[in-house]
Amino acid sequence: MAAKASDSGGSGEILPITPSLSETTSGVTAASQSTQPPSSTSDVDAVCVPSYSRWFSWTGIDDCEVRSLPEFFNSKSSSKNPKFYMYLRNSIIKQYRDDHPRKISFTDVRRTLVSDVVSIRRVFDFLEYWGLINHSSSSSAKPLKWDEKSAGDASSEPPTTVKETAKRICNGCKSICSVACFVCDKYELTLCARCYVRGNYRVGINSTEFKRVELSEESKKVWSEKETLQLMEAVMHYGDDWKKVATHVTGRTEKDCVSQFVKLPFGEQFVKESDSEDSLEAFDQIKGSADLESGGSDKEGSSPNKRMRLTPLADASNPIMAQAAFLSALAGTKVAEAAARAAVTALSDVDYEAEKNASGDPNRQEANGGEITNSKRAWADAKSLIQKEEQEVEGAIKEIVEVEMKKIRDRIVHFEKLDLEMERSRKQLEDMKNLLFTDQLNIFFHTRKARKSEDRVDVQT
Amino acid sequence: MKALGSSGWKGPVKFRMPTAENLVPIRLDIQSEGQRYKDAFTWNPSDPDNEVVVFAKRTVKDLKLPSAFITQIAQSIQSQLSDFRAYEGQDMYTGEKIIPIKLDLRVNHTLIKDQFLWDLNNFESDPEEFARTLCKDLGVEDPEVGPAVAFAIREQLYEIAIQSVASARESRLSKKGRRGSDHGSASKASGLSMDLVKLFSFKSSVVRKRKDLDVYEPVVDLLTSEEVDALEAREERHAR
Repeated sequence: MAAKASDSGGSGEILPITPSLSETTSGVTAASQSTQPPSSTSDVDAVCVPSYSRWFSWTGIDDCEVRSLPEFFNSKSSSKNPKFYMYLRNSIIKQYRDDHPRKISFTDVRRTLVSDVVSIRRVFDFLEYWGLINHSSSSSAKPLKWDEKSAGDASSEPPTTVKETAKRICNGCKSICSVACFVCDKYELTLCARCYVRGNYRVGINSTEFKRVELSEESKKVWSEKETLQLMEAVMHYGDDWKKVATHVTGRTEKDCVSQFVKLPFGEQFVKESDSEDSLEAFDQIKGSADLESGGSDKEGSSPNKRMRLTPLADASNPIMAQAAFLSALAGTKVAEAAARAAVTALSDVDYEAEKNASGDPNRQEANGGEITNSKRAWADAKSLIQKEEQEVEGAIKEIVEVEMKKIRDRIVHFEKLDLEMERSRKQLEDMKNLLFTDQLNIFFHTRKARKSEDRVDVQT
Repeated sequence: MKALGSSGWKGPVKFRMPTAENLVPIRLDIQSEGQRYKDAFTWNPSDPDNEVVVFAKRTVKDLKLPSAFITQIAQSIQSQLSDFRAYEGQDMYTGEKIIPIKLDLRVNHTLIKDQFLWDLNNFESDPEEFARTLCKDLGVEDPEVGPAVAFAIREQLYEIAIQSVASARESRLSKKGRRGSDHGSASKASGLSMDLVKLFSFKSSVVRKRKDLDVYEPVVDLLTSEEVDALEAREERHAR
């Protein structure tokens, strides 16, 4: 086996067959780089290699291999080098293809390769993952999923590649460090707690040369815009069900979602305002702005207060979510979008007012403060009144327009009727004309006859 | 010559396999529910412990063994690994040891007999590389021979490493301060090692004596099935 493997691996040449939709045959790769002509093989059917593994070549090492199996390429140990990796990889694939289409098992392979078994297992798993071993066209959804995902990707990779950049991998045991790790800058080593305790490092290093590094989840603290948007969508959809919200927002736990939601600008608003009157007023204004934006699709702006108390749907235990639920129910999707946009601006105004109001209470004892708050209040009231007026005016205009439309429609109907009448009378006229004509003709014939008979009488006498 | 003798002395080294890769030879021989599973392979002790169970499950699945084997295999591997790790913290003296390694193994239909010298001090040595080259050079067709050879070499190296730990402990207990000569005597006492001094002195030559030639020559035999069966029967009788 060792002798065979050390030949350049072209001796396992495969005859190309017509490929199925999403797969190419390894004949393509063989032809592209191997100079050996396809020797006669015992394979009757060809070996299929999925298209996302097109990078494979017997004599070369691709980037994805370096990324997935870094232990062979980081030159930390003299025997785990790329040449050794190629020996393992080529032997495994050759062994599989010799007995194709029988699936090769890990134990078959590890018994024939001179190496420690865990390295063999890693290479074996990697090759099986990429469909270079044990791949069958009618196999499970796993390769198809990759094919779809990697459709546009030139250097296609399976979705779960080792994320070396994000996480820290221990040099000793190649596992991902979770809680804390120990870093030695002198020799550029990173060890997990276990390896450090066990003394699993090179001979020359002292244990004091290691620094303890806590792995805080820094990357997770900042919420991106996309995640915030997902969070808001999820809250609108699922409301109180934080489990569902957490699943909708990719990559965040329930706690994170709740805390982030509360931290959002209008979330603060919800948390601060304990006075329900004010919050109702706030919603009034949101609704008002929403109506303005959407052109007043609903004219129920008059009594949201009443509505709120009447609605049995809202969960009274959580006033914030009750109001959110109420809004989403009333408004509908388009309006809700517009409302959200307007709400941020409106609420910042209201927030300002609310702060003033809240801060106004302790200040009321001061005369100056009292005046200011009163005028502010009046201003707020006036503003709401104006908005109400605007709404009513809009409604009135709409009604007028409707009425006009109706008038025109009636007129058209009337006109059509008249038109019909005219047609009828014209027809009658025509008929009468025809009758007259026939009468005239009759008379004419009669007179002719009469004259003829007259002449005859005249002649006789 | 004295200088030669003492200059080679190294300080005590932390126990490890005296090879480039610190791999542990693991031997399994488990009998359960009427089935016997024998196996031998090398393991990297710096791999995370969950690999043991993964390996056990994989093996049982591939060989279609009853699932009771999983825990037994895992336990066996774990105990051998922990034995190895128990030695790890301790010192060992390797000295000037060049030891002969003997191979006498039968893998399926191939029989290999060989003997060669191995430098215990060479911490860059690679039994795997040696095994691969051996099989290639001797034209061994059966791919399972390579791992068996590497395993045999490792096992012997492991044994010797353990012995050197024991001897280091003894010498530490008994020594009074003189290091070089004491240590030298300790290594000589193990009996197996060759004295480099004698070997490379200008009185003797490096060329091997004729009587030793046969011993050091590798022999590969291909057996027929009947011979294999006969040998297996004899081995089982010996085992009992």
